[in-house]
Amino acid sequence: MDHIIETKDLSIYFDQKKILDKINIKIKENKITAIIGPSGCGKSTFIKSLNKMVHEEKNATIDGEILLHGKNINGMEKEIVREKIGMVFQNPMPFPLSIYDNMIYAPIYYGIKDKEKLGNIVKQKLIIAGLYDEVKNNMKMQATKLSGGQQQRLCIARALTVEPEILLLDEPCSALDVKNTANIEEMLKKLSHQYTIVIVTHNLAQAKRIAQYTAFILNGEIIEYDETKKLFENPQDERTKQYIEGIFG
Amino acid sequence: MKRTNKHLGIKLWSILSGSILIFLVLYMNIYIFSKGKEGLSIDFLMDMPKGFPLGTDGGIFPAIIGSIYFTSIACFFAGMIAIATAIYLNFYCTNKRIYGGIHMVIQSTAGIPSIVLGLFGYTFLVVHLNFGISLLSGGMVLGIMIFPFIEVKVEKAFQEISKELIYASYALGISKAYTFFKIILPICFGEIISAIALAGGFAMGAVAPIIFTGGVLYAPEPKGIFSPAMALPYHLYILIGEGISIENAYKTAAVLLVLLLVLNSFSIFIGLFRKVE
Repeated sequence: MDHIIETKDLSIYFDQKKILDKINIKIKENKITAIIGPSGCGKSTFIKSLNKMVHEEKNATIDGEILLHGKNINGMEKEIVREKIGMVFQNPMPFPLSIYDNMIYAPIYYGIKDKEKLGNIVKQKLIIAGLYDEVKNNMKMQATKLSGGQQQRLCIARALTVEPEILLLDEPCSALDVKNTANIEEMLKKLSHQYTIVIVTHNLAQAKRIAQYTAFILNGEIIEYDETKKLFENPQDERTKQYIEGIFG
Repeated sequence: MKRTNKHLGIKLWSILSGSILIFLVLYMNIYIFSKGKEGLSIDFLMDMPKGFPLGTDGGIFPAIIGSIYFTSIACFFAGMIAIATAIYLNFYCTNKRIYGGIHMVIQSTAGIPSIVLGLFGYTFLVVHLNFGISLLSGGMVLGIMIFPFIEVKVEKAFQEISKELIYASYALGISKAYTFFKIILPICFGEIISAIALAGGFAMGAVAPIIFTGGVLYAPEPKGIFSPAMALPYHLYILIGEGISIENAYKTAAVLLVLLLVLNSFSIFIGLFRKVE
């Protein structure tokens, strides 16, 4: 089984409005999958449903199945699902604590008390996120004082402290400049050897650069899902073709 | 041309109302302090009420202590319930009807006349639950009175925290309770304390809720929460209402005002401190 997560007829409604319509997708393990589509097509809702974040919306109704390693996540506690499937949001959201405290926030919750162990986790994850050299001398600084790009890398590093299997990213670079975007893309490529990554992006070039697989969502339906190369070079569906050629969206 | 006139009208109106308000508040405070400061001495603060009728002589020490106790009990009681209610409404309640229902109850509680609350406190707390005329009964009734005020402010403080920040914590697989204590409470702590302090000032000045439930004409400083106690506003009410001593009434009012000022500046101080931070 090369896929780690699979949805079966996943439909999501907000109040009466249908946001996602019978999504069936199999996401491959240790690969980067990009979700593309115009604004409001339901791509963010889709990845939020994978770690049950959509359950936090009071008016959301969720139909269908999401299988993680073949097991339905409906029967699992939200916290357990999210421990396995980490998420990074569009706007960097560091906690109003020091950099170090941001990093040990989750490990302490999961019962790691040993100071040395915590220190190692912080160092290791910050190195992965490419932030360690920039912040190693002022770990006690408020994380909110970091620049936007640094904050986002901190958030990715923080998501990794939980040791998830899957990392969901909801337009992580949309608030960042070119250089920071390049940093994060580089990091994601490295991460994909250990983690499965699902990234929602507005930026088609970004999807082309980093993703092995791409899914195109339009009006709550998956129009096409294929290897990135195939999807961009030889789209099967007319709508996909129009979208990647920039005719709409 | 017409537009500027309109703007000018609104500007004048707001400046005028602002000045009148400031003038009235200043005048009232200065008047009371100038009337009260004559004869205001350590003895008056530290002595028991004396004389016949009671209050013509002596001091107001037990009333000061009683007022502080009443206020503390009310703040504790109302703060606990208000914070818990706000947490529930903000983080746990998913049913819109229940949410609306609880809000309606809170708003109605704010609208109950305080003397009616006093009557309820007397029949339910004093007689039915047998707490007696005591600090506990009086404090709880005052607590009910200030609860809506604290709840609304605390809920607003919670709402001002970005949802995304809270979700960022949830997305790490972290429980609501842990998120609340580690992220939300530290951010809101100052605001919660200042809301409770302001509400405490409101409770300290109230007479009606404690007339039947905890305040008495004369008592030594209370020994425990089941003792009845004197309270400054009630003492003031008696001094004036029975025509006992206008002079002592002004002195009592000045002391009450000082206590309220201390409470209010405490909450302002917290606000400033947080901004500086």
